[in-house]
Amino acid sequence: MPILESQSLTKTFRRPDKASGFKGAVKHLAQRKYKNYTAVDGIDLSIDAGESVAYVGPNGAGKSTTVKLLTGILRPSEGTVRVMGRDPHTERIANAHDIGVLFGQRTQLWWDLPVEESLKLLKHMYGVSDADYKRRIERFDELLDLNEFMPALARTLSLGQRMRADLACALIHDPKMVYLDEPTIGLDISVKDRLRAFLRELVNDGTTLLLTSHDLADIEEVCERIVVIDKGAIAYDGSIERLKAHYITTKAVNLYLEGAADVPALAEKFPDYEWTAGEAPSEVTVTYESNRFTTAEVLGSLTAQLSPRDLSLSEPSIEDVIRRLYAGELTK
Amino acid sequence: MASIDIALATIAFKRKIAYKTTWLFSVLFGGWALLAGLAVWNHLIGDGEIGGYDWEAMKAYLVIGFLTTTLAWAGAEWDMANRILDGLVAIDLTKPVDFQRARAAEYIGGMTASVPAAILGTVIAVLVFRPAGPASPLAAALTVFSLLFIFPLAFGISYLAILCCFVTQRFLGIQWAKDSLVAFFSGMMIPIALMPGWLQGLAWAMPFVHFTTTPASIYLGRVDTAGALGLIAVEAAWAVGLLVIARLIWRQLVKKVTVHGG
Repeated sequence: MPILESQSLTKTFRRPDKASGFKGAVKHLAQRKYKNYTAVDGIDLSIDAGESVAYVGPNGAGKSTTVKLLTGILRPSEGTVRVMGRDPHTERIANAHDIGVLFGQRTQLWWDLPVEESLKLLKHMYGVSDADYKRRIERFDELLDLNEFMPALARTLSLGQRMRADLACALIHDPKMVYLDEPTIGLDISVKDRLRAFLRELVNDGTTLLLTSHDLADIEEVCERIVVIDKGAIAYDGSIERLKAHYITTKAVNLYLEGAADVPALAEKFPDYEWTAGEAPSEVTVTYESNRFTTAEVLGSLTAQLSPRDLSLSEPSIEDVIRRLYAGELTK
Repeated sequence: MASIDIALATIAFKRKIAYKTTWLFSVLFGGWALLAGLAVWNHLIGDGEIGGYDWEAMKAYLVIGFLTTTLAWAGAEWDMANRILDGLVAIDLTKPVDFQRARAAEYIGGMTASVPAAILGTVIAVLVFRPAGPASPLAAALTVFSLLFIFPLAFGISYLAILCCFVTQRFLGIQWAKDSLVAFFSGMMIPIALMPGWLQGLAWAMPFVHFTTTPASIYLGRVDTAGALGLIAVEAAWAVGLLVIARLIWRQLVKKVTVHGG
């Protein structure tokens, strides 16, 4: 039974169509023109309870707009959304009780008050009991070191502290469905690691998670399923493992030879592989189709005939696949 | 009042007093405006009277004007407007609270932060300038009632002005227009009694008049008890009516909310 389901979800915005310069500004004042822009274009999405889904795409792909549609902030231009059986826009208040939302670029802390005040206000808002509030704050403190900055004014926090506090705000009422829109944006590696560990715990506890991020490590470490969106439409929807298995069909070996590499000669000698010159004259990269040759076979033939000084294997990268999906080189 | 309303009002109150210097300046500025008003009207009235106000009555009118101005200008309308303009309204819409009710609690909480300043300033002005007293104990009690209705009335007017931001994407011009209407048609700048007849009619047909003219008229006995009760009933009707109108407008606006960016 899906916890979230959208069908043909579409959002179209009206944008001013204004020419640049003084003339354009004056003309627009007298004769206003607008253009429709489709940010989300017919998204069909179904998420089961307990799933952790990464929602990724290039800038302007429609990720944040989708999250705003799913959380009830925006009203769809066309199509439907149901979250736990409710329309999140028309039944906004009932829906809000069951969801937690974090927008990495917008804080929900009261800027001029201590962090603790924001959390206590949310406790009232969601009707969290004293005992549950205390227990959750203790848990957040264990995982996010919350007490370190609870008495500090929100405006004095570092970005990492602010994000940890915002995450606590999004989860203080133990929501069933959590939306995190770029939760690690701008954070240093140690804070990212801490947040990812926290999110893994959250998923292990059975919370349903939809995560948007440009950081593919967030996705690989936290999510099992990935939805790639581009130009408002879904370009891929499936498991991360399937994405790798389906699209990562080549592997590469970097060879460091004793002398300069003669790439055309090597390509003629080993026509089944693709040869590319490396940064140094003695470096060369050999790319082979992983469904035709095993790594052992490739290494065996290369080392026997070329006696390289050294070699290294290039691990398949999900980043490359997604980059190629963004570029339109791969299809669903 | 539910605990969430009190919690939101308390947060708004704390946010107001978090900036102590700004708070202090608003009190001092309000006091200065009162002094300037007293000086001007003392010069104009002298030993005579204008529009039915002698010097004693005018002092009371100006002190009530100071009190209502301090309260009416104290709500956190720029905070609300900026949340819409910056897109933080997206966060508000993910919370399980009615949007208008939450903003009302915050606004009235912010206004409450100015009550000590308003009362302190009024007490000092009364002690120093000795204005006319209330027409009767009943008039004094009814004046307090009319002052209490300023809280929901001020919210209704400010909230409607702020909702314009969803369309205009700017608040400054809206705020100037709203402040000008309140200052002029409340009688804060010039008593309504001094305006031409048609303008007086227009003023009494609008909600702004209840910010200064209504409490001052009740206090000074310019209306009898029935008239005072009638004015308070109209003031209350405006407060409720504006909230209903705002809710109807919000229902349409929320369908068109646009928040760009992540």
